[in-house]
Amino acid sequence: MSSSTNKRCRQPKPDEMTGFRTKISNREDFQRIPELAINPLGDRIINAFFSDGEDQVNFRAFMRTLAHFRPIEDNEKGKDPSSSEPLNSRNNKLLFAFRLYDLDKDDKISREELLQVLRMMVGVNISDEQLGSIADRTIQEADQDGDSAISFPEFVKVLEKVDVEQKMSIRFLH
Amino acid sequence: MPRKSQLQITMEDVGIEIDGQVDSDSEDDGPKSGKRRQADKSASGRNNRNNSRAATRVRNGRRGKNMDSEEDEDEDEEEEEEKAPRQRRANRKKVAKYEDSEEDSEDDQPKKKANKKGNNKAEKEEQNTKAKQSDKNGKGKNKNKDDGGEKKKKKKNDSSSSASDSNSSDEESLSEGEMAKLMEEVEEKKKLISNMRNKPWRMKRRLHALREAQAFVEKFEGALGKGKGRKFYAYKVMMTKKWIKFKRDFENFKTACIPWEMKIKEVESHFGSSVASYFIFLRWMYGMNLVLFGLTFGLVVIPEILMGLPYGSIARKTVPRDEQDTAMDFSTLWDFNGYAKYSVLFYGYYNNQRTIGFLKYRLPLAYFMVGIGTFGYSLMVVIQTMAKNADETGGDGEDNDFNFCWKMFTSWDYLIGNSETADNKFASITTSFKESIVDEEENQKDENIHLRRFLRVLANVLILCGLGGSGYLIYFVVKRSQKFATMDDLGWYEKNEVEIVMSLLGLVCPPLFESIAELEDYHPRIALKWQLGRIFALFLGNLYTFLFALIDEVNQKLEEEENIKNMTAIALNLYYANVTLNGTEATPPPIDPADVIRGPCWETTVGIEFVKLTVSDIQVTYITILVGDFLRAVIVRFLNYCWCWDLEAGFPSYGEFDISGNVLGLIFNQGMIWMGAFYAPGLVGINVLRLLTSMYYQSWAVMSSNVPHERVFKASKSNNFYMGLLLLILFLSLLPVVYTIMTLPPSFDCGPFSGKPRMFEVIMETIKLDFPAFVGKLFSYAANPGLIIPAVLLMVLAIYYLNAVSKSYMNSNMELKKKMQMQRDEEKNRRNNKSTTNSVLKDLEDLLPINSGAVNHTTAASNQQPNGGDQTKPMKGGNRNGTSVRQEKEVSLSAQNPRIAVTRPPGPRPPGPLPGNPRLAVPGQPGRGPPPRAGGGRGQPRH
Repeated sequence: MSSSTNKRCRQPKPDEMTGFRTKISNREDFQRIPELAINPLGDRIINAFFSDGEDQVNFRAFMRTLAHFRPIEDNEKGKDPSSSEPLNSRNNKLLFAFRLYDLDKDDKISREELLQVLRMMVGVNISDEQLGSIADRTIQEADQDGDSAISFPEFVKVLEKVDVEQKMSIRFLH
Repeated sequence: MPRKSQLQITMEDVGIEIDGQVDSDSEDDGPKSGKRRQADKSASGRNNRNNSRAATRVRNGRRGKNMDSEEDEDEDEEEEEEKAPRQRRANRKKVAKYEDSEEDSEDDQPKKKANKKGNNKAEKEEQNTKAKQSDKNGKGKNKNKDDGGEKKKKKKNDSSSSASDSNSSDEESLSEGEMAKLMEEVEEKKKLISNMRNKPWRMKRRLHALREAQAFVEKFEGALGKGKGRKFYAYKVMMTKKWIKFKRDFENFKTACIPWEMKIKEVESHFGSSVASYFIFLRWMYGMNLVLFGLTFGLVVIPEILMGLPYGSIARKTVPRDEQDTAMDFSTLWDFNGYAKYSVLFYGYYNNQRTIGFLKYRLPLAYFMVGIGTFGYSLMVVIQTMAKNADETGGDGEDNDFNFCWKMFTSWDYLIGNSETADNKFASITTSFKESIVDEEENQKDENIHLRRFLRVLANVLILCGLGGSGYLIYFVVKRSQKFATMDDLGWYEKNEVEIVMSLLGLVCPPLFESIAELEDYHPRIALKWQLGRIFALFLGNLYTFLFALIDEVNQKLEEEENIKNMTAIALNLYYANVTLNGTEATPPPIDPADVIRGPCWETTVGIEFVKLTVSDIQVTYITILVGDFLRAVIVRFLNYCWCWDLEAGFPSYGEFDISGNVLGLIFNQGMIWMGAFYAPGLVGINVLRLLTSMYYQSWAVMSSNVPHERVFKASKSNNFYMGLLLLILFLSLLPVVYTIMTLPPSFDCGPFSGKPRMFEVIMETIKLDFPAFVGKLFSYAANPGLIIPAVLLMVLAIYYLNAVSKSYMNSNMELKKKMQMQRDEEKNRRNNKSTTNSVLKDLEDLLPINSGAVNHTTAASNQQPNGGDQTKPMKGGNRNGTSVRQEKEVSLSAQNPRIAVTRPPGPRPPGPLPGNPRLAVPGQPGRGPPPRAGGGRGQPRH
């Protein structure tokens, strides 16, 4: 999610696409996408496609996940406020990102989770002590309520200056 | 009210129509009483089993699960056995009502509408049902006599679903509750419409309310499938869908129309966004130049070609006689002499006729206006883009609050799609983390500042020497070339010396500066800016030296021209004297235009210089890419098989894409265009061609022979920096052009302004001749110094005022930022303090002051060696007050020397909690199977 956060978990090729209708996709199918294979967080992204305990994903669920990345349109048809928030709202986009880091789904990013992500990102190039101190530092920066973990509101606060609406959007038709 | 409730009931009925239907199917006999049902369920196990089977099917259908195997079904059956009764009980009431109308339900409008949800599921279910019907048939006989009936009903249900499906697809999203609410509202509005008369409102309000209500009813009545709005509604929905689809297609089309989008995306995925930023900049430049090209060619060049006098008609449009033999030689043309010099490409070709062609097109005026308009348009575009960029970057400025957080959460570039780049990104993330640690360290200690200062001063002195030397070299060369210009039979080198030396300087100096800059040991981001600034200064110095030399030359030419002018005047006088002696009326002397004595036409000379400079710049750039990148890559790649050391990893390696150099080259090229465009209108065309080819050429070169950067600097930040440089260059190139326009007299025998004392006189002339008199008067008033000076003063004042305002805004911004920071810190401290003042802990601390210190110590220790296995969560709140945390951090951050260059991508990661190593699954290998699973880390849901 750096300079360009566009998550490009690249669209499956057309044959995969139609493949969805007949068979149901599993993790190996996702891992065959090269962009995901080289992404250190690819695993987490793939996980995001699978709901609890499921080992497969059908086309509908796949689309539901990808819907997070739909660009937000200005007019958004003036949806009446009573209707539920669309999947591609800023909040939901952030929530999606948050869940990439929240490994144990307790709505908090703990130090251990940060460490795991860090190891995915930097490999073995930085010693464990330093990784630990980086994680501590990160939490110290973001933590507001002193529970030494990053909750979703804190996460939102950290990224409040990032143009998530634009960066976490993909034009699928392309 | 009764009406409403009934409506609701129907809706609920149909919402679960399938459930109800299936339920009722299993017991197809007449009236259903609750009691009987109960008995039925609890008593008859067989029946019950069947019921639940039906229910199961419904549920499965609703889930959209695929169940084609009998085992699945059976399992589910067991599961659902307990749930089924509950469900049925809930359905009971509705079933009773529903039963009556079921037979004719297909035609029943409201029901059908509300059905949709159910139908949708039914559709999905359809497959299941059909698949199962066969085995049902097999088993069904001994199971229940009702099966036949059930099937029949099912079919009916299916058919009804498919019937109503055609116009129902849009309201699927409405849930039953919403539907009910909507219906209620529609009813309310209807009521409102009917008793609008009785309301004690003003007419205006009444009308307003009426209109609103009518619109609402029209909109939603159709949705609910009632009233006259239904067909219209269906039509409207269809049109909306078509419209949306069209908009989407159009959007697609628009994206497809962005030139080189895919090319840039490809480069981006291989090299990260910083390299892509160069290509985006190039594309932007191309766009701007295209407009300039359109202006120049559309308003000046094409009219001249179409309507101006043809070649050979007058002296300025003809090659002189003594040059005619060689005028078509390639070497001559390559130097832009001969026919090239006397063509529309250059200033001298244009005639000073006030109007040309039957359209009375005022070419001189157009020429002047286009020259000014080029600058005006460029200024506008550059400033606009800068303002836009500033707006964008203003959002997320440098913020040190969440330094590590941002690195943690936003460092991966998700656009990377190439494993090599991914490795580099790994490395750069690692580096950036290390950098931050280094920064943290440097905040604390400052060692040997004197040595560093000395080195920096030394480096700057060296670079200044380099700059001065290059400036002098250029001056020397230009002087020499002026000497050469008077001589004949020159070699190729002597002719092109200036260009060669300038290009060589541009090649040699930047790397030299870079190596000198290593003495300074700046942070790479700052180093890059310094580097950019120095190269900019070098180029600028070269350019201006060149310009001054050129102006010298122009002055010489002016003197020369003066002589020739006098000579021709004398010749003409002589001729006229002769002619009048002979007694005929004055006609122009019958000389062939090729033989006319003509002046040097300094404007064309300047234009040719710029064109030559541009062309040689193109050559050098392209050859550098070919040799420095492509050839190097070829050699490194193929000589590597038989070489003593590893060429790819070792010394020559592959080239990196030099972003700063390329961007600066582009900017300076543009400066040259701006300067030269007035005297050589064809230059803009050449530049457009250059940008077009370099887009393809460079993107090919970068993909084929460069390797991604090891260190990527943020593209968006420096973008405005480039724009700033561009603006500066624009201003600097504006100066000489305006100077020449305003002060130097145009040549007497070439160009659109010949014969006028100054070029801008063309405006005066137009005002005098073509506008009514009062405009001229106004203009002369406006040009009065008495008016201009106050105007300038006013502008200065405005600038001062705006500047002050913006400064004060900036100050208040800073203040606010500080305040926010303080608030944050305060809050944090308070929270931390609160947790420390936990009463129990406080008591403990009071009691055991030594122990608390010990605890502190142990946490620090455990923080320092967090091995993956047994990390205990840091103690909640415990002894974490602000200072202790900070101290801890500082201690552990500076514990190790992190300044190791990352030379290798992350090696194979240990199995276990880590995901499978992407390196193991090289995407380059075709047809690989699923990537190896590392200890089940990948592929298993992790929670």
